[in-house]
Amino acid sequence: MPYREKTAWLSLIAMTVTFGPYFTFVALRSMPGALPDLRQLGLLAVAAIAQAVILGAGHMYLRRGSAQDARTPPDERDRAIMGRSISSAYYVLIGGMIVVGCVMPFSSNGWSIINAALVMIVAAEVVHYGVVVLSYRRQA
Amino acid sequence: MEGSISNRIRTLRFHNAEMSQAELGQRIGVTRQTIAAIEAGKYSPSLDAAFRIAQVFNLPLEEVFQWDAKAAG
Repeated sequence: MPYREKTAWLSLIAMTVTFGPYFTFVALRSMPGALPDLRQLGLLAVAAIAQAVILGAGHMYLRRGSAQDARTPPDERDRAIMGRSISSAYYVLIGGMIVVGCVMPFSSNGWSIINAALVMIVAAEVVHYGVVVLSYRRQA
Repeated sequence: MEGSISNRIRTLRFHNAEMSQAELGQRIGVTRQTIAAIEAGKYSPSLDAAFRIAQVFNLPLEEVFQWDAKAAG
């Protein structure tokens, strides 16, 4: 498996195990309190820090296992896959931001808007790394 | 008109002292996985990379890569 596919899997797993529980909790919870709502802010901080820790440890582990691959600069196929994944994620992100920034302020407020923005960012990242993984799988 | 690109890289590697995918990749500046994808016809290399592969085997481009045209429809 190419090193860049491994790092894409790592990012997908890190996002699933951190923001998955966060969004599940947010969806099950009754209406969040008014801003800043420190409890909700704390949960978001825990999810973000956990993601950073998993990514940091995961990258260190992967680099130790394939040091040569990690040092190799991306070649033309890597760059093509990266370009395709970023352009796919861009459409998800821009669509989401239009909804969050231009539509939601008329009907929602506070944490609803913040969480919707986070959902869109995470969705864009999932599309980004998902396209990377799929592209490497299809072209393997 | 539709078509697909095929290549003889695997055969040429075999006839060139059983050159490995990694070695060929190193000589043209791509990863072993990219050479594997090109050989399997799952990735079409850039013109630049295609010429570099042909140069490694001292052959003209058309003896390494072939384009099989199929009429659309």
